Amino acid sequence: MLLAEGLTKSFPGVRALDGATLRLAAGSVHALLGENGAGKSTLVKILTGVYRPDAGRVVLDGRDVHFGGPLEALHAGIGVVHQERNLVPEFSIAENIALQHLPNRLGMVDRNRMRAEARRCLGLLDLDLDPDTRVAELSVAQAQLVEIAKALSVDTRVLLLDEPTASLTGDEADRLYAIVRKLTATGHAVVLVSHKLEEVFAVADTVTVLRDGRSVAEAQPLAGYTRDEIVDLMVGRAYASVELTARTVDRTATPALELAGLSTRHGHRDVSLTVARGEILGLYGLVGAGRTELAKALLGLDEITGGEVRVHGAPVRIRDVGQALRRHRIGYVPEDRKGEGLFLEQPITRNVGVTVWRRLARFGLIPDRAERDVVAEYTRLLGIRAASPAQLAGQLSGGNQQKVSLAKWLAASCDILIVDEPTVGIDVRTKAAFHELIARLAGQGMAILLISSDLPEIVTLADRIAVMGDAAVRGELANDRDYDAVSQRVIRLIHAAPVPA
Amino acid sequence: MKQEETTPEQRPPARLPLWANPRIGLVVLLIALIALFTTLRPAFLNTQLTLVPMQADISVYAVVGLSQLAVLSLGHMNMAVGRMAAMSAFASGLLHDRLDAPLLVALAGGLAVGALLGALAGLVISRTGVNSFVVTLALDFALIGLVSLLYATFTDGVAFNGLPAGMSALRTDTFADYCAGDVCGPEIPLLAPIALIAVLGVGLLFRWSRVGREVLMTGANAKAAELSGIPVRWRVVQAHALSGLLAGLAGFLLSANNGSFSAGVGDGFLLPSFLAPVLGGTLLVGGAVSVLGTVLGTAITQVIYKGLNLLQFQVDELKLYIGLVLLAALSLDRLRHVLAERRGVPA
Amino acid sequence: MTSTVEKTTRAATAPAAPPSRLRRTVRTSEFTLATLAVIGFVALTLTTDGNMLSAGTLAAFFRFLAVPMIIGLAQMVVLAIGQMNLSVGVLTGFCAMVAAWAMLEAGLPAPLAVLAALLLGAAVGLGNGLLVVFTRINAFIVTLATMTIIDGLRYGVNGPGTYQDYSAGLEELGQASLLGLPVVFLIACAVAAMVWFFFARTVPGRHLLASGGSPFAARLSGVSNDRSIVLAHALSGLLAGVAAVLTLAQSGSVNATIGDDLLLPSFAAPIIGGVALAGGVVSVLGTSLAAFIVRLVDVAQAQFAINRRWVDLIVGAVVLGVVLSGAIRAKLSRRSS
Repeated sequence: MLLAEGLTKSFPGVRALDGATLRLAAGSVHALLGENGAGKSTLVKILTGVYRPDAGRVVLDGRDVHFGGPLEALHAGIGVVHQERNLVPEFSIAENIALQHLPNRLGMVDRNRMRAEARRCLGLLDLDLDPDTRVAELSVAQAQLVEIAKALSVDTRVLLLDEPTASLTGDEADRLYAIVRKLTATGHAVVLVSHKLEEVFAVADTVTVLRDGRSVAEAQPLAGYTRDEIVDLMVGRAYASVELTARTVDRTATPALELAGLSTRHGHRDVSLTVARGEILGLYGLVGAGRTELAKALLGLDEITGGEVRVHGAPVRIRDVGQALRRHRIGYVPEDRKGEGLFLEQPITRNVGVTVWRRLARFGLIPDRAERDVVAEYTRLLGIRAASPAQLAGQLSGGNQQKVSLAKWLAASCDILIVDEPTVGIDVRTKAAFHELIARLAGQGMAILLISSDLPEIVTLADRIAVMGDAAVRGELANDRDYDAVSQRVIRLIHAAPVPA
Repeated sequence: MKQEETTPEQRPPARLPLWANPRIGLVVLLIALIALFTTLRPAFLNTQLTLVPMQADISVYAVVGLSQLAVLSLGHMNMAVGRMAAMSAFASGLLHDRLDAPLLVALAGGLAVGALLGALAGLVISRTGVNSFVVTLALDFALIGLVSLLYATFTDGVAFNGLPAGMSALRTDTFADYCAGDVCGPEIPLLAPIALIAVLGVGLLFRWSRVGREVLMTGANAKAAELSGIPVRWRVVQAHALSGLLAGLAGFLLSANNGSFSAGVGDGFLLPSFLAPVLGGTLLVGGAVSVLGTVLGTAITQVIYKGLNLLQFQVDELKLYIGLVLLAALSLDRLRHVLAERRGVPA
Repeated sequence: MTSTVEKTTRAATAPAAPPSRLRRTVRTSEFTLATLAVIGFVALTLTTDGNMLSAGTLAAFFRFLAVPMIIGLAQMVVLAIGQMNLSVGVLTGFCAMVAAWAMLEAGLPAPLAVLAALLLGAAVGLGNGLLVVFTRINAFIVTLATMTIIDGLRYGVNGPGTYQDYSAGLEELGQASLLGLPVVFLIACAVAAMVWFFFARTVPGRHLLASGGSPFAARLSGVSNDRSIVLAHALSGLLAGVAAVLTLAQSGSVNATIGDDLLLPSFAAPIIGGVALAGGVVSVLGTSLAAFIVRLVDVAQAQFAINRRWVDLIVGAVVLGVVLSGAIRAKLSRRSS
């Protein structure tokens, strides 16, 4: 029914898709799997007309199609529910569903037809919602279902669901999948992008696995695989690990950072972790497991409701990032580097210098030369490639941006560093260089908490791995760097039934 | 919509071509305007008639522009500049009138009131997260009322009688009136150096001081600023306090220029406060300011006012041309951006 | 959270039961404003020994409510897409001056002059919108520039002079009453109803609100955000034209200062009325009620011979109070959820 063949798409510095193929049959649920950065989102965006492929073709019902925009893809019969919410909150359900083709008479909205249309779409999903309810009043799950109804409002035959259950509870997810099965019964083809393997196995018929932009399994029946085999396909046996110099960690000394039975307002329960000097603790978990939120609570950006944080053995209460930096020498490299890590419209100098101005200032003024020296030092140390220090951070490639985001904490001579998803959207070579850098920092005695959803990265770098799920630590294991064994154990911890609290 | 990262880093470091520097464009425009008016009316270069009063006006309105610039650095607005100036002038007047305070004390008191009002606005904004436009607009409303009530209560009308000693000299004298032997100063009004101090101070603040830079970083990306250890809320309060302080100074300068502390001080501040920085290339998004551009923007508007005035245009009609110049300058600036982008030069 | 979760698909079947609908109505900011308006009106009537209800006072009350209402709506239309229009006030004055000029000096009959004022307003608004879309410069700055230009043009029509006796018919209309209510006020109400209808029922109106509420979702649904921006500005200009016509009718004479005192109130009414600066939310009723309340303060000042300036002080305090209470309420509800 739908065939996407040999799709290639490059972004500066990254080849997101490298000849990927996706084949869909009517009346089936097709799982699209792969690790973060494997190219799933790019593939979805090409199919829905958001991106244009550099090479390859999309064939729908035997005809080549080219989409100029999201609306064209929709009218061709490909509907999508993106990970982000795309509804107008102040509008009613009916209006959101019908927004792309508001039924009207002489420019006036025909509300009865609009409601009828919405009821029809909601009916397809057996949804019993009042079409006049405002979307803002719906729960997350309800809004999600309305988006599906909206995607079905045009004569949709292919429906792409990008991580539809990321913000749903188990119960809600079950209902959603019941609806998905109903849709396939009426001849729709559904593509399901999900990280949650147990759901995939429960719902999907066939599977395509992407790895590094290539499809390593193409439209295979899912029944032919075990979960472990899928995991192997996703992470790849032949992962070439970087050779890193071995480090020794003195575990008898007082830990640099210690969380003892921490709970937060976000909902973390009894989280206990320790990071020693010179150690890298990998914090692994799925998106939404609460790792970033934990880091932010640690920095005083969210309320800690119980337990204790100890820095070099002394209990501390951290109010804000400034205090974390100045009093405790804790740095945080955020995951969202464009939104939180960098000042895109500011030169590199300012981006790196921002944490050291306080130290450099004489009578409140910052001597240009001192700042330039500091910036030059860390630009060299990290190998930041830029036209000049005056270049705007927003003009750098992803890898160099990340280095700038890291540089400010090194310049501020932190000795505890929290690094959140450091290599998302960064190409393989830069990634390896980054890994060496992080290992070297630990070798110099820095305590590093590495938050990552990239399992190979964690196995390459971490001394110990803590696995987090649903805002609690599921388990902790020592990393012997035997990738197969460790990844199996980690995945098992992740997919273990949540321990009842 | 979500454009992935672009990488012009491999390109050679292109230098900004001369025409692409917005400040130079403003200087050229300023010179061209002066030349034009001088050709049409040679009296334009008459010192007593034009140049001295024009310098005084530029001094006042440059400070008005800086007052707005102080919060534009955050991407905020201050709709109450005029009324902060009026309150500040009232405080100065009251100090002199009731306590017989000397010039400097009256000035300091006025500035303190301005800064406090600004800080109050900043505090409300940073605590509640409500749009700065709304907060300062509401404050403006409240102060409009308060100012006239205060003047009605404490004076017999709309102005204080009498000025602190030395203040009328600020109005009437230029440095040419002060001679050491045969050497006299240039024909520059005494107000000018006060404005110059403000310009240099604000320039220094945003260029070299830590606090100023952290304000700019907060304007560029508040989230990243917070995660870089900048006390974001405090910086917001400080920037608004600075705005209030400068508004107060502008109120003082205008009072000196008018010869009295009156309720009408600051009435005409709002529009020029935006005109000058925007004309000078400061955007409303925050994160970048141009102090020099603000001064040039003020100079251009005042030259147009004075020039057209000499050509016997009606005062209100002049606004038409000011608006056209603003629109043209903005469109050209936009064009410059587009051209520069095409050449791969960060503009 | 958990309670809503359980009802995912089954919930909200029947249309909301009467008591909950009542509660929802009571909770809206329009209801709060209406209550305030009624209380204020009654209080004013009682404290002035019923003077409020005398025909003259009442008619004057409503006659001078017309323009603030329309000007508030003119600003609201642009706020709906998350932008501002600083030129509403001067544009009103400009349209009024041009229409008066057309009647007195160009000899146009009054209906044509009225039409000209409306068209002029819409055309200037359209120009604003096109400038915003094509230059991609912030609407605040664009309308700041056009405001300055129009300010000059407004003065250019007749210098400092005043136009009067332009049309006996128009002035008659301004003083006329229907069922005890001034005709200008009824016109303002009719226009407000049309604005409401536009936003509530028409396709362009709904698209405009979608663009204001979430531009990205609107784009994915094939709505042109640029078209919404242009439309909003044109409509804002048109409403300024309406305000100009009402001014002509009720005042009997116009000069170049018309509209000077309208800019700040144009923001106060929608903001008090619950319109978000971020866009996507409009409230015609709220804006009108806010204008009503501001007018009450005005009348109270006149009745009690209070210093005129108390009005601004109180309006400022109300705006700040409304905004702060909104922020605090949002914070509280976030905490409780």
